[in-house]
Amino acid sequence: MYVYRIMLFLVFGGYLLSPMLMSGWATPGEAWYRPFLIWGILVALSFWLEQKRHLDER
Amino acid sequence: MSGSFVGICLLGIGYMALLFLCALAVERGWISTRIVRHPIIYTLALGVYASAWATYGSLEFASQSGYGYLAYYLGIAGAFLLAPVLLLPIQRMTRTYQLSSLADLFAFRYRSRWVGALITVVSLLAVWPLLSLQIQTLGEAIGRLSDNRYPALLALAFCAMIALFAIIFGASHTRLHARHDTVIATIALESLIKLAAMLMLGAIALFGIFDGPMELQSWLESDGLSHQTGVTALDAGQWRTLLLLFFAAAFLMPHMFHITFAETLSRRALLNAGWSLPLYLLLMALPIPLILWGAQRAGANPEALGSAYLGFGLNSSVWVEALVFLAGLAAASGTLIILSLALSGMILNHLVLIAHPPSHQPDLDRWLLWLRRGLIATVIFGGWLFYRTIGIHHDLTSLGLTSFVGMAQCLPGILALLYWPGANRKGMVTGLITGVTIWLVGLGWPLVSHHSPIVIIPPGLEMLATEPTWYIVALTSLAANMLTFILVSLITPTSEGERAAAEACSVDAVIRPKRLPLLATNGEECKQFLAQALGREFADREVDRAMADLNLSDHENRPYALRRLRDRIQANLSGLMGPSVAQDIVDRYLPYRRDGQTATDDIHFVENRLEAYRSRLTGLARELDELRRYHRRTLDQLPIGVCAFGDDGELLMWNDALGKLSGIEGHRVVGAHRNSLPPPWCELLGSVLTDEHERLYKQPVDLPSGRRYLTLHRASLQGNDTGRGGSVILLEDHSELKWLEDELVHAARLASIGQLAAGVAHEIGNPITGISSLAQNLRYDTDDPAILETAEHIQQLTDRVSRIVDSLVGFSHGGRHKHALEVAPVTVHLVIDEAMHLIHLARSRQDVEYRNDCDADLCIEGNVQQLVQVFVNLLSNARDASPIGGCVMIDAQRDVHEAHITVTDDGPGIDTSVRDHLFEPFTTTKAAGEGTGLGLSLVYSIIAEHQGHIQAESPLPGQAHGTCIHMWLPLSEKDGDATHEPDSDR
Repeated sequence: MYVYRIMLFLVFGGYLLSPMLMSGWATPGEAWYRPFLIWGILVALSFWLEQKRHLDER
Repeated sequence: MSGSFVGICLLGIGYMALLFLCALAVERGWISTRIVRHPIIYTLALGVYASAWATYGSLEFASQSGYGYLAYYLGIAGAFLLAPVLLLPIQRMTRTYQLSSLADLFAFRYRSRWVGALITVVSLLAVWPLLSLQIQTLGEAIGRLSDNRYPALLALAFCAMIALFAIIFGASHTRLHARHDTVIATIALESLIKLAAMLMLGAIALFGIFDGPMELQSWLESDGLSHQTGVTALDAGQWRTLLLLFFAAAFLMPHMFHITFAETLSRRALLNAGWSLPLYLLLMALPIPLILWGAQRAGANPEALGSAYLGFGLNSSVWVEALVFLAGLAAASGTLIILSLALSGMILNHLVLIAHPPSHQPDLDRWLLWLRRGLIATVIFGGWLFYRTIGIHHDLTSLGLTSFVGMAQCLPGILALLYWPGANRKGMVTGLITGVTIWLVGLGWPLVSHHSPIVIIPPGLEMLATEPTWYIVALTSLAANMLTFILVSLITPTSEGERAAAEACSVDAVIRPKRLPLLATNGEECKQFLAQALGREFADREVDRAMADLNLSDHENRPYALRRLRDRIQANLSGLMGPSVAQDIVDRYLPYRRDGQTATDDIHFVENRLEAYRSRLTGLARELDELRRYHRRTLDQLPIGVCAFGDDGELLMWNDALGKLSGIEGHRVVGAHRNSLPPPWCELLGSVLTDEHERLYKQPVDLPSGRRYLTLHRASLQGNDTGRGGSVILLEDHSELKWLEDELVHAARLASIGQLAAGVAHEIGNPITGISSLAQNLRYDTDDPAILETAEHIQQLTDRVSRIVDSLVGFSHGGRHKHALEVAPVTVHLVIDEAMHLIHLARSRQDVEYRNDCDADLCIEGNVQQLVQVFVNLLSNARDASPIGGCVMIDAQRDVHEAHITVTDDGPGIDTSVRDHLFEPFTTTKAAGEGTGLGLSLVYSIIAEHQGHIQAESPLPGQAHGTCIHMWLPLSEKDGDATHEPDSDR
């Protein structure tokens, strides 16, 4: 259940802060792959949380 | 364009042939089930979400709004990240109640067939632009590759092939809620193909057109800047609204609902998709800006190509064009297949079957199957018509956003379904109609009529007037929808049925299924009743299927089991013809019997469900469940029988001790009415339940193990506010107590006789002594040899009488309790002779011979009377077991410091099951009434008191029968040089 709360926090936090992702399109000084990098980190985090939840439920 | 008409046809046909081949390989089992059912396949199948919008629409959207195109991917990623709290509860419901579509779910929750019909109509209206978008991208791509030769006809031909595939492999049977491995595997293959094609296109752009990421970055910061002038970033509000729309699409879009919930996939697979689907979508989204920037760098003309089709402008190679076409074809065909399957099921269950109920169809299965196949073809053809008449005049963004805003109108309804049990049908319907009306006039009507949208801006929000139409319509329609929904739900009453359904759907459900008996009393009657609606053959099959699902036998008549059977039949019919029709049929033809009794909670069902959901309980709920399990274990393992009945006479509990006593396992009888319990329990429990007294003492009951005496105690369970009343009965097995009482009565009677005998013996002793003295005197008074001989005979006979009397007196004294055992040297031979003498006095079974082979000098330490008692018991047992003319042999040998005494008979032997308990009280091999089972127990006690031990051996070594009792007793110090008379204490 704690894992679910972390997930809820991540998703709603991401929902509120996500407009910041939009600013990087073709802006000098901003790496074009930045949104994908953040997204990749989020995927890795959710993978880790899923493994943790799976272990908790066993 | 370098593509040719023949080339495009060959590519398309080759691709469709690959799909058919894949489907065939799965269906024929050429591909292992382990692979087909792997979680990766499920994730790839969920990739059906990445429709033509993901391959073409995203390019168009990215060219207009930059990273705004990511909302399409991040919205669904958010929904799947929340799978444990959002998607799993929906999956649980759809599985439990066999719900295969959003309309099924709404009809089930809001308890109305019209709600199902309304959701179907809204879904059709909302999804048609998306359906058209798929076909439109197909037509446009074909047009670009074939120099605009018959794009509409070719698109129609592809639609026909896709429809054929959906009909053959997706509608091969009538049940919607089942796992279609073939479809899942094929959609997964399509997802893989479109992903590979998109990644290759991205790689071509990144490394073919640019010289890697660094060069791209420097281009973006120099020459590329001029190409981005048309990009208008979304503001935060628009971005969040888009995220919300695509978040909702993850579980509201019919094709997503179908793949996620109607295909019966495991909970684990869904949780895995929580990270694997966002990863898939990341890989799908990554090439979009690369393709866009690559095409811009390559000088592609967005005016001529259309910004959605800029991929064709990467370069003029046939392979690049083929990859772009293939990515679009794979995306569009997958979406068309699943959308057509999902929509056909919704139309069938919520429009066709409601308008034409299936009663009295001679071949219902076949009728349903062909109806569904026809609907699949109609849906796809309808999409093509929409594309030709309406879609062709609009860009992909308009079509897609219209569709997503339309489907989002169901969002308040589904959120309330999960999290607000207070929501009701009237609120949901009025809210939905309000939202859909705003959507129709704001986005739908301009799409169809080319007129300006009618946008309603609420007072105070005039600043929205400059925003895009889709944004204003999405905000106002959803806000009006939710407000109306909440207000109407709060001010209108909610029906009882709806409240029960709300509890069943709620995430924090407190489900209290009620306990009422069915009118049908067994499975056969269920078949008969259902046959009135479904036909005999169909009803038989459905009832048999439900019984097999529940592992019920044909003779099942427990009310609890029949209620579960009814639920299962309803769930199965729901998967076949929707929840509304299924509920109508079951309510009408399998009704409950309501003969004045109120429904009470189905405790047994609740408990079973708690057991099933145990791993999901957390915190306080888990603690409470642990407590419940502890109390349940306590009751189950009580060493006395416990059973409980509800007010309606239904058996709610039958613990382990009662199961052992009765030989009936709890799971076979729990849920049965007390009148249907097997004899003698029906009468016995019925008598204590109906008796005015709360106790019945020592009731004789004939059980397979023999006659038992049971004492029953009844207590009434006072119904509190939950209304759970009934009775609990404790059953104590007092058989041993009863036998002991009988034995005590018998022993008391024997003791009286013994006392009488001792008194008589004493009285006889005096005249006998007188006769003996007179006979002795006679020897001195005469020399007549005849008289002397007579006197000698008289003396011998009086001695014999004296010995008999002494034996009787001695034996009657032997059973008395003594504080300390008085021991003395005892000659075994003489003790056994004494016992044999007493046995002879009984004058029964004179045909049995006794042989005392004991050594005359063998002397042990013991109490004569108690040892006589031991041998009397052993010899009488051996006598009773011996056949006619049998022989009982008694032998005794020295064994170091002990005497080893054996009593051997040639009887039938002792059964193994009895032998292990032979020396325990109340163990007997004799017929009822002939033995008390206490004799050998007494023997064991006496031997143990003499510091000896005893064993039984049966059968005799090397023989199939016979019994030998072995005893070891300590030798006397005087063994071998002295003998002691057995009647020393007389």
